[in-house]
This record gives sequence, structure tokens and C-alpha cells, in this order.
Amino acid sequence: MKLITANRLSDGRVIYVGEDASVVEDIASAALFDGDAADAALIAAASRPATFVNPYLVEVTGHTPSGRDRLKETIRSAGPTVGNSLRHHETA
Amino acid sequence: MYRYDEFDAALVRERVEEFRDQVERRASGALTEDEFKPLRLMNGVYLQLHAYMLRVAVPYGVMNGGQMRKLAHIARTYDKGYGHFTTRCNIQYNWPALTDLPAILSDLAEVEMHAIQTSGNCIRNTTTDVFAGAADDEVEDPRPWCEVIRQWSTIHPEFSFLPRKFKIAVVASQKDRAAIRTHDVGLQIVKGADGGTAFRVFVGGGQGRLPHIGQEIAPAVPGHELLAYLTAIIRAWNLLGRRDNIHKARIKILVASLGIDAFREEVDRHFATLRQEALQVPAEELARIQAYFAAPAFADLPRQSAAFDRAVLADPDFARFSRNNVRRHKQVGYASVIISLKPLDGVPGDITDAQMEVVADLAERYSFDEVRAAYEQNLVLPHVRLDDTPALWRELLATGLGTPNADLVTDIIACPGLDYCSLANARSIPVAQALSKRLADLDWQEKVGPVRINMSGCINACGHHHVGHIGVLGVDRKGEEYYQITVGGSPDEQAALGEIVGRSLPADEVAPAIQRALDRYLEVRIEGERFIDTVRRLGADPFRDAIYAHEFANA
Ligand code: HEM
Ligand code: SF4
Repeated sequence: MKLITANRLSDGRVIYVGEDASVVEDIASAALFDGDAADAALIAAASRPATFVNPYLVEVTGHTPSGRDRLKETIRSAGPTVGNSLRHHETA
Repeated sequence: MYRYDEFDAALVRERVEEFRDQVERRASGALTEDEFKPLRLMNGVYLQLHAYMLRVAVPYGVMNGGQMRKLAHIARTYDKGYGHFTTRCNIQYNWPALTDLPAILSDLAEVEMHAIQTSGNCIRNTTTDVFAGAADDEVEDPRPWCEVIRQWSTIHPEFSFLPRKFKIAVVASQKDRAAIRTHDVGLQIVKGADGGTAFRVFVGGGQGRLPHIGQEIAPAVPGHELLAYLTAIIRAWNLLGRRDNIHKARIKILVASLGIDAFREEVDRHFATLRQEALQVPAEELARIQAYFAAPAFADLPRQSAAFDRAVLADPDFARFSRNNVRRHKQVGYASVIISLKPLDGVPGDITDAQMEVVADLAERYSFDEVRAAYEQNLVLPHVRLDDTPALWRELLATGLGTPNADLVTDIIACPGLDYCSLANARSIPVAQALSKRLADLDWQEKVGPVRINMSGCINACGHHHVGHIGVLGVDRKGEEYYQITVGGSPDEQAALGEIVGRSLPADEVAPAIQRALDRYLEVRIEGERFIDTVRRLGADPFRDAIYAHEFANA
């Protein structure tokens, strides 16, 4: 299965195509597509350039990235694995 | 510090307004991403994994307190409360919104900062010795020359669409503290035959996919002819450089394929005409710029500082800080202090807005309002009274900025890697963190002494892995992160590329392998020998054996 991801134009944040062509931020809410439907949905996303910057397909198993870019897509969906490790200094 | 004149200020303002308009047109859909991309890149804006990234130029790494405060303000107001200092002495913000970028650039312009030429195929921010103007071994202060280069190269009409990016670094000492031989052009200030300023010029260095160490092309170009000579070099490359293959478009490829002698002839041909033209550096203009970099009003101080000596005796932690992070200064009674951005388990180069505010304050109070960005991803307060160092250290400690590890094994350079960068093959920050935790014992670190460990998340080499004494390069093996280790690289006046020791390792084996290599060094070094000197004496073999030793143990 595949889903569609992109960066949002206004702030660059990771977004996905959700059900009914909605925009969702959580990979778990992304719509899943099969075969030709995925290509059609990609074209539909690309036709909304005011929202989706550089949309592309991601292979998933369930909602978990599984293709060649598994790691990259996992980091995109969950944020940097290093967190914002600096924050604690301010409360120190 | 250099101050903008009315032309500089107007230019930067105009660029901000131009970009504001471009952002509005992009946001409204009038510009497509393909149309917008080259425009945003001209303003240092990338689109990365999670968000836009803004790269702000810090000209030759020099800032004042007000500028640092503005960087803090930007981190707090438009980003997630931190910024990231890079090996190019720039600061990057990882999370700004596109629609905020014009406001950010406008804020920057208020303190004479911008993001022009921090990206794209142009002459990038010139870098220099972080101790410029303070080092006791420099021929003269290199910063005025960096400023000359900056004024000449900013929006230079001939060089705004080069075959690829072009990087210049300047040092003024025998010791190379700016890695000049890994730059497209490296300049070393020397005394010319007439006793005046001259430049020893290296060309064709660079890292990335096809790394090269720069070669000497001229021993002593007179100062007033510097710009003519630089123009000749870049013109020769602009005319002859390949544009058909992005990986072969760098000057290092041209120099390597022509050979340095043939390339020199090509440059000399252009130089012969250029030096006749009006491209001389006018003496009055140089003097005007130099006046901005005049030494601050140093006090007449004794060589010994009683306060410093007392603190060293009284507090072993301060003694350690002074051994590792305090450097000699040309002015008696003063020192330069390195602020490590490599706390235990931290992200190399990251700093919070609150920390930036403190650094700004410390620069104003203790260092004549000056702070520097080092290519090692640290900060430096260049001119601190020895008397003040204990108090300064206590304030740094209280802010999480007092880690006494400058140049030690945990002073790791690491690029953002796959945690932020869309070009990465693997993460680099977590590997740096694991190493930092494993090698944390400061007594042990001091015993090992200076070792430069550099990491990049891909072959582009933003983390300078090729020239790390130990280099770590992230590679992708069928979707798994692996790391290739090199040994024997060196960024300095004995610049060398590291040697790949063997097959790449999974992430969790990197730190133990490096620890074994360092343990081996402790066994085989001779008294007083630095790690890199031991590698030069014995070659990589003993370290290779140590790095892969566990395999034999398990066999
Ligand atoms: C996160 C966004 C970044 C992108 C997209 C990026 C892109 C690149 C690319 C494509 C190269 C290869 C250049 C070549 O082979 O000629 C490169 C090289 C380099 N970058 Fe980055 N980079 C990024 C971040 C950084 C950071 C954070 C640093 C500093 C820590 C940095 C410093 C460098 C340096 C020093 C080189 C080596 C260039 C040379 O010596 O030829 N870059 N970068
Ligand atoms: S070396 Fe590669 S992974 Fe690291 S910042 Fe540069 S381009 Fe990104």
C-alpha cells in the first residue's frame, strides 16, 4: 500500500493526504491507496500547489513506512529522533 | 567590527523587500515551487525534512552582542527556541515558517545581518581563524581582508551564476585554524618580498563526494592585487569548469584534471590583464576597513593574573577548563575563551535562545562586545581578561555552556544528518551523542588529548568527515544505517584525507570501535605524541585492527 506525503507550503511541515482528500499531519490518519489509485491521488495532490509542496508516494505496511526510504519517512513522521534536547537548560 | 555604510544597508533592505514579494507570490500560488526554489535559495532558505531551514550568514564568524541577541530573538519568536551553528560558521534555524521568513530577514537587517549567498552557485561566506585579531602567532589580523573579499564577492555580477558553490577561507598564521586546504581557495597571509602583506594561495581543495586537498598555486600575491588574482582564478574556472555534471562542476575537479601547472598558466593569463585594470585594493579603502577592526582598548595588565592563578589552584574544575578551553592571547593579561557547544549528550552546534542571550551578555561584559563562531561548531569570546576568566567560567557553567572539552574527543563535529537533512543517508547526531556518552570521562579525555572526530550523514561531507583524525560517514545499506570509519585525516597545515579502514559498521558499534582505536593509541603512542602523529608514524593498521578487534574476539 501507499500513502501520499508532502511539505505544507505555509510552514514546510510534513503533511499527508487523508480521507476525502483532506490534509492531515499524522501519518496514522493518512489515506492508503493501491496501485493506480495511488497515482491518481498523487496527481490530485500535485494539482493543489498552494498546499502540497513536492508530494510523493511512500510505501507503507499498515501506516508504517516500509519502502527504501523507511528510515527517512519514519523520521519525517515522528520528528527528529534527537528531540529538542536543549530545552532542559532553560529550566536548569 | 565592520559597520555597514548607507549602501550596504540599502542593499540588504532592498533584498528583504524583494524576497517579501517573492514569498507573497509563492504563498498566493502565483509562483510554482520550481520557480520559487532558486529565489529562496538565494536567500538561504532550504526545504528540509520537517520544515523550511534558514541559513544565516555570519561573516567570517564575527558577531557582537546585539547580533547574538537578535539571533536569540529569532529562535524564540519564529523557531523552536534554538539555533544550530555549522562548520561554515553560519547559524541555521530548522523550523521557521515560509510566511515568517520576510520578517526574520527584516529583523536580521536591523543588526546588519542577512542570508545572502549562504546557498547557491556563488561565492559563499568567507571563513577565517576563530582567533583572528587575538592569536599571538598571526602575521596580521585577517578579518579586514575577509571584509574586502566580502564586499567584492557580494552579488558580484560575474560570479553570481558559477558552475557550483565556491568557498574561500583565510588564515594569517602558520597554524591553519580554518582548514584552508579544504576550500576552493585557501589564503594564508604571509610577508611579501617588500615586507608588505601578501597571500600564499591554495586552490582546488574541497570535501564532498570527491575530496581534494588544495594545492599551492602562488607563494605570495601582493595584497593590493588579491582581488585581481581571485578574479583570475574564478574566471578561469567559470570559463572552463564543467557544467554538464553537478559532481564535476567544482574547481577541485578542474584543477585535478588540468594539473596545477596548467591551471596556474590559465589563471596567470587572466591575471596579466586583470592586474592592469582598476581592480586593485585601494590603500585608503583598506585602511578604512582596517580601522573598524582596530584592536580594542586593551588595559595594561601584568603577565600573571593573581585571580586566575588562585582559581586554578583552588578549583580543579576551573583548572581543567583553563587547560582545555582558554587560549593564549597576543595581548598580555588577556585570553580567548572557547564556549563548547558540545555538552555531554548534546547536539553539536545547537544553542538555545536563553543561552544566546547569556553569551551576548558575556561578550558585552567580558570581551569588548565580540563573539565568534568557530568552524568546529563552538563559540569563542576572543578578548577576555585572565582576571575575569573564573567569573566568566562560573556563568558559563550555570548556563550549560561550561563543558571543558575543546579539541578533546567529545568536541565532535557532526552535521544534522537524517534527523533534519533531506539529503542524508543516515543519522549523525545520535552517533555523536553515543560517543559523547561513552567517552565522557574527562580525565580519560585529557589523557587521550586532542583528537578531531568528525561525522557526516552523507558523502556531501558537511561534517568534514574526510579530514577528521577519525571520520565517520553515514551510508545506507538497504534502508539500514551503517557508518564508514576513516583514520588519519587532518584539516590543518598538514591537511590530509582520512583512509577508509574497512567495511562499515552498524550504528551501535561505532562508539565502541572508536573507543578501541583510542585505547590502542594509548598503548602504542610515544611520550607526548598526539593521536594524529601516532597515526602518521604507524599508519592506519593498528587502528584498523582495533576497530575490528571484536570480530576476532567473537570468531
Ligand atoms: C541541512 C541542509 C544542508 C544541505 C541540503 C547541504 C547540502 C550540501 C551539499 C549538496 C554538499 C556537497 C557539495 C559538494 O560536493 O560540492 C554540501 C557540502 C558541504 N556542506 Fe552542506 N548541506 C546542508 C547542511 C550543512 C551544514 C549543517 C553544514 C555545517 C555543519 C554544512 C557545511 C557543508 C560543508 C563544509 C560542505 C563541504 C563542501 C566542500 O568542502 O566541498 N552543510 N552540503
Ligand atoms: S553531510 Fe549530508 S546529511 Fe549531513 S548535512 Fe550535509 S547533506 Fe545533510
